[in-house]
Amino acid sequence: MAQPTGGKKPVLKTIIYGVVSVALYAAAFTHANTLTELFSRGSFWAAGPILTVFVFSYAHGTFASNLWSCLGVVARPRAAKRPAARPQARATINA
Amino acid sequence: METLLLDTSKFIELNFQAVGFLFIVGFIGGLVSGFIGSGGAFVLTPGMMSLGVPGTVAVASNMCHKFPKALVGAIKRFRYGQVDIKLGLITAASAGVGVQIGIMIQRAILDRWGQAGSDLYVSLSFVAVLVIVGGYIMMDAVKCARCGGEEKPSSLAQRLQKIEIWPMITFKTSGLRISLWFTIPVGLATGMLAATIAVGGFIGVPGMIYVVGASSLVASASELVVAFIMGMAGTVNWAMHGMVDIRLVLIILAGSLLGVQLGAIGTTYVREHMIKSVMATIMLIVAVSRAIAVPKYLVKLGIMDVSEGALSIMGSVSFAFMCLALGVGSVIILGAMWKGRRVEVPSRA
Repeated sequence: MAQPTGGKKPVLKTIIYGVVSVALYAAAFTHANTLTELFSRGSFWAAGPILTVFVFSYAHGTFASNLWSCLGVVARPRAAKRPAARPQARATINA
Repeated sequence: METLLLDTSKFIELNFQAVGFLFIVGFIGGLVSGFIGSGGAFVLTPGMMSLGVPGTVAVASNMCHKFPKALVGAIKRFRYGQVDIKLGLITAASAGVGVQIGIMIQRAILDRWGQAGSDLYVSLSFVAVLVIVGGYIMMDAVKCARCGGEEKPSSLAQRLQKIEIWPMITFKTSGLRISLWFTIPVGLATGMLAATIAVGGFIGVPGMIYVVGASSLVASASELVVAFIMGMAGTVNWAMHGMVDIRLVLIILAGSLLGVQLGAIGTTYVREHMIKSVMATIMLIVAVSRAIAVPKYLVKLGIMDVSEGALSIMGSVSFAFMCLALGVGSVIILGAMWKGRRVEVPSRA
């Protein structure tokens, strides 16, 4: 896959976030039933699943991003980017 | 070791196959979402239900995975300069209203015609929207491909952009200026569809393209902002009713966070009309799936007479078509990425 010029593979970051991600999943699933029961109690426990997914998304999402980079799957730089057609200039106070 | 037993009326026992299924479907759903801005929900929710998860828990858990996945996808595509945050926020605002309208309509139909009538309404809306919108996008994608893949705003969008009704909003990333009033129907329709079939993006993305005039890249990327906001709002609601099964959410997320980033990367490998092609293909196959499911509700309402055996087969075929839709979409995306990687990138001066 195309690599941005001079890109170094973030192996260390991948490993670190991978370990963190695995640790989080292990922690969650060894207490799966307790967590599920707590988070299904409703009212202010609603914060439980929401905060949990933010934490997991940060760790696992970063791991996933670095993993793809390590595998050489990166965004392709757009060649000669066409400038977006800007709206016509006009005198305004508030656009 | 866990000694606590879960309420089995809400939470299924997880086995290896269920975990594997959810991870894989999560990955493919994420891949499609990252690429076209929506999708995945229509397989994940029935997929979870086929594992025995009650409908409300399936919907709630799907929503709880959708908003962080959309956030991760949106951040990735923002870095590629594709997300128009303003467009996403403005569409999300009217989509929120649209959801409430959609819920009210569903309730009215439920009261008037019962559960079967409500399910029939959902399926018929599904099929109508998917066929009409999906068919239109497909024709446009073919036209775009024929004329060198360069996208131009639709004639409707160009006309609407010229109409000056206060307040006029400038969308820098999309490179357009249009009256707020023309973004409202797009958002409302997105919300109403989301409330009905759980996939608002099937109207949101085409709406942003053909009504507002954004490019497919910007529309599909900005839809992720809409999905994040609506998903989080919906999840708060469901979680307050205790309907989220966090185990399912985390397993699906494990796959979808990998998939959504791959899909986002994929958008940089393909010509813009590919986004339309993939979206249209998925919509048309899902339309077939939902159409096959329609007789079930007609039978329940006594309008049609089909044997139990035939209905059961139709149910399985319908589900298979849904999986096929996602499968075909992901094959097209991955294939296009594979082809795209072999094209030399001209060096920048």
